[in-house]
Amino acid sequence: MAELNIQNVHMQFSGVVALDGVTFDVKEGEIFSLIGPNGSGKSTLFNCINGFNRPQNGSIKFNNINLLKKQPHQIITEGIARTFQNIQNVPYMTILDNILLGAHKRIDNKSTMKRWISRKQRQNEEAMGLEILDFLGIANYEQKYMAGQPYGIQKLTEIARALVAKPKLVLMDEPAAGMNEQETVEIAKIISEIREDLGITVLVVEHDMSLVMSISDRICVLDSGKILAIGQPEEVKNHPDVIKAFLGDSADA
Amino acid sequence: MEISVASSYYLFILNIAGIYIILSVGLDLLSGYTGLISLGHGAFLAIGAYTSAILVDQAGLPFMISLIISPLVAGLFGFVIGFPALRITGMYLGLTTMGFGFIVKRLIIALREWTQGAGGLEVSSPVIFGYTITSDWDNYYLIFTFVILAVIIGRKIGKSKIGRAFMAIRDSEQAAEASGINLAKYKMLAFFISGLFAGFAGALFAHTNHFISTDHFDMMLSIYFIIMVLVGGVSSIYGAVLGTLFIVLLDNLFVPLLGDWIHGYLNTNTGDIQLLIFGLIMFLFIIFQPLGLYGMWLKIRIYWRIFPFNPRKRFT
Amino acid sequence: MRKITGLLVILGLLFIGCGKQAPAPGVTDTEILIGNIQDLSGPMKELGAVLPAGSNLYFRYINENGGVHGRQIKMIVEDHQYNPQKAVVAAKKLIEKDQVFCLYQVIGTSTTEAIRPLLAESGTPLIAPATQSGTMSDMSRPAGDLIFHTDTGYDKQTNILVDYIIKQDANAKIGLIYQDDDYGENVLKGAAEAEKRNGVSIQKEAYQRGATDFTGQVGNLIKGGVNNVIIAGIVKEPIIVMKTAAAMGYAPQFFGTSPTMDHRVALAAGPAGEGFIAANFAYLWNSDAPAAVQYRELCEKYEVPEAYMGMYHFYGFITAKILVEGLKRAGKNPTRKRLVNGLETLNKWESGAFPPITYSSKDHAATESVILVQVKDGVQTVITDWVD
Ligand SMILES: Nc1ncnc2c1ncn2[C@@H]1O[C@H](COP(=O)(O)OP(=O)(O)OP(=O)(O)O)[C@@H](O)[C@H]1O
Ligand SMILES: [Mg+2]
Repeated sequence: MAELNIQNVHMQFSGVVALDGVTFDVKEGEIFSLIGPNGSGKSTLFNCINGFNRPQNGSIKFNNINLLKKQPHQIITEGIARTFQNIQNVPYMTILDNILLGAHKRIDNKSTMKRWISRKQRQNEEAMGLEILDFLGIANYEQKYMAGQPYGIQKLTEIARALVAKPKLVLMDEPAAGMNEQETVEIAKIISEIREDLGITVLVVEHDMSLVMSISDRICVLDSGKILAIGQPEEVKNHPDVIKAFLGDSADA
Repeated sequence: MEISVASSYYLFILNIAGIYIILSVGLDLLSGYTGLISLGHGAFLAIGAYTSAILVDQAGLPFMISLIISPLVAGLFGFVIGFPALRITGMYLGLTTMGFGFIVKRLIIALREWTQGAGGLEVSSPVIFGYTITSDWDNYYLIFTFVILAVIIGRKIGKSKIGRAFMAIRDSEQAAEASGINLAKYKMLAFFISGLFAGFAGALFAHTNHFISTDHFDMMLSIYFIIMVLVGGVSSIYGAVLGTLFIVLLDNLFVPLLGDWIHGYLNTNTGDIQLLIFGLIMFLFIIFQPLGLYGMWLKIRIYWRIFPFNPRKRFT
Repeated sequence: MRKITGLLVILGLLFIGCGKQAPAPGVTDTEILIGNIQDLSGPMKELGAVLPAGSNLYFRYINENGGVHGRQIKMIVEDHQYNPQKAVVAAKKLIEKDQVFCLYQVIGTSTTEAIRPLLAESGTPLIAPATQSGTMSDMSRPAGDLIFHTDTGYDKQTNILVDYIIKQDANAKIGLIYQDDDYGENVLKGAAEAEKRNGVSIQKEAYQRGATDFTGQVGNLIKGGVNNVIIAGIVKEPIIVMKTAAAMGYAPQFFGTSPTMDHRVALAAGPAGEGFIAANFAYLWNSDAPAAVQYRELCEKYEVPEAYMGMYHFYGFITAKILVEGLKRAGKNPTRKRLVNGLETLNKWESGAFPPITYSSKDHAATESVILVQVKDGVQTVITDWVD
């Protein structure tokens, strides 16, 4: 059963407690949202899942495999891809190549060699990226350099790079941050389609409440590294602690 | 007549450029693509050169075999240097690789049984399928056959998943790792590959120059190599080619002319103004043209293709 | 791919010409063109300016007196920055583009070694390379028949110095400070020979070219109980070594190879340099040797700046005398072959500063002996005749 189990994770940076006994599961096929005020430990949790941070305590398992024993670059082989809150890309590479970066593990060494002599192989490789570009509706951008592209396009390529790996679970860190209203609606649609059309489980961190409420199956609210509430959107929205701690001040933010 | 005799001189300079191009293609993959600065690439050239000279002239191996083994030896040295690169980057890596250059020089002097120490080593001409390569023209065809091969292979590497991994390591280690790229493995690979290119260039260098010594591979040479890559435009193989041609021709043809001209007014010599000119060029490129010569060419091409329609917009 | 092949062909075509060559390059009815490659802007640039100036002093004198067989001598100087690769480029330019008659005074060992193949290929003679490496006169090497060496090799000099020390004191404990490059390489070769011949062992201390701190080396010599030290350096090194030793309360007898005979050593080392003995393959510029007298006269006549005058300027002057003698002997219609043959007729020829010079088709080493010069009361004084 494709499931992410996070058990009692405790992460501390020289005195700063970023995660304090975080426990929850993400079930296969779910869209699971992680919300919370700035500095509440959301990105840190992502970093723990993909090996950038090592929690002092707790366990993180995916399909019963202990992720804490894995190197960061091995996480994608387990079927988990991610996007970054601050866009991470290669400016002087084309958008297509930036996306194909995510297909690193899908292209084996033999086909890399073949690619050097066979045009067909190259086209196969490019097709992987084009498929995702199509899916995201930015196919005409493939040959453009990343540098100087609008923010929205860069954000989408970030998602595309994660999807091209054909993961079972994708971690998205604030995909709609900095987007305008129309783009945010677009992102919401894409997230739903990732689940519906590609069958990928989604764990998303987001500040935009309307987006979170509209797409999530379940929501987990973090505050100062502790879980305030977990449940369906309606439950969380009406949870007294949540209203007090988080939703209250994000309304005017 | 004038032209014909002088031509051999220009051909000779072109041959030097050719050998350096092979090296800078590899250096571009390391420093340009992967962002791992090497200020010790002259040492890899030296390793290739001395290995080949020893293999062919002392161990009696055919040149063609040495052309395979020598790059591998340089590549293995690259591998070893790759280790510190796993932890350090930027200027610190530059200093480490510079130190590597000094160590290799010591090593060559210490192994005087094979290298004849600091005295330098005479090297035989290349023999290919029983044909001995002697004239500048022979050298030209030999060198530029391999230049073309090096450029093609360099581009293939640059455009494959290896090249993408290299650039991702340079611009975002996080994105690279999250995409499944093993940083350690690919950094080592970058050093190994660029060692291969440099070692290959070194073997050609030794046998077409017929004499090698530690003086050939001083620190300035390593610095020129990195300038070639930067001026050409990082992470573009054609850029490395253009940058190398530009610097070698500048160094051997233009700077001496300019030096003579300035000498008429100031009591300076060519070499004195050379560093100044190179420094200035680097500075101007970094400020105004970070994409290098190749980037400039691309812009000009786009400009003419869309001219006269709204050129300004695309040009900037 | 086709594009690339095309490019190759075009690049190649650019360089195709008709390939005829003049019978004696660099020689016209009125002029003989010679090429010189110096270090004008590298680590030895102090010498780079002075050496050719000394040669030009003599050429000027010859030219004003009708030249050689009516031809004026003209010298082109290129810069190699002490880089062998650049030396080859420069030699290529001089030989093929400027079409010089011969090369002269090229400085440095590795730089001269690097142009050997080019000399051999083009048949260009090289007169008086400015290096005392004994390898220069090795006739079995490429272009050995085209290179005419004027100076006593470093290996030979080291041999002579060791012999001299042992003659003075059979139980001497000898130390050697050498530069870890081709220069030092040749010194080590001589030291090894001398060790074997005399049955002694020499304590060897290396330093890197350009080093300015010798406390380690001097300390080691003190520890080793050395009482005779040969400094195979250039100008700066013997000064620093002797001053360091004095500061450390260490006072062995110091010796030096030919480059250390510069009068600036005595000047700058002061009391620490008192008693320093240097070997040289030619008489001093301020001595009574005929060439030195002529040199000082011409310096005065042509108002040579004081700063130029000295051992290296004089060296340029006297090697120019050898070149001019060779050009004279090459005859009215000189060719490169005739220049080589002409020089090979020199038999105990007196230059006025070098020991008598003899060349033959089997031997291109002009001399194998040195004089020893000691600093006495701050003045360089010749203390031996030619020793070998
Ligand atoms: N590498 C690190 N070293 C030290 N402290 C860190 C590190 N990474 C995160 N922190 C700290 O951990 C806490 C949680 O940070 P985190 O980035 O996870 O917050 P977040 O919930 O993602 O916030 P935001 O909404 O602003 O992205 C913060 O106090 C932060 O300063
Ligand atoms: Mg965050």
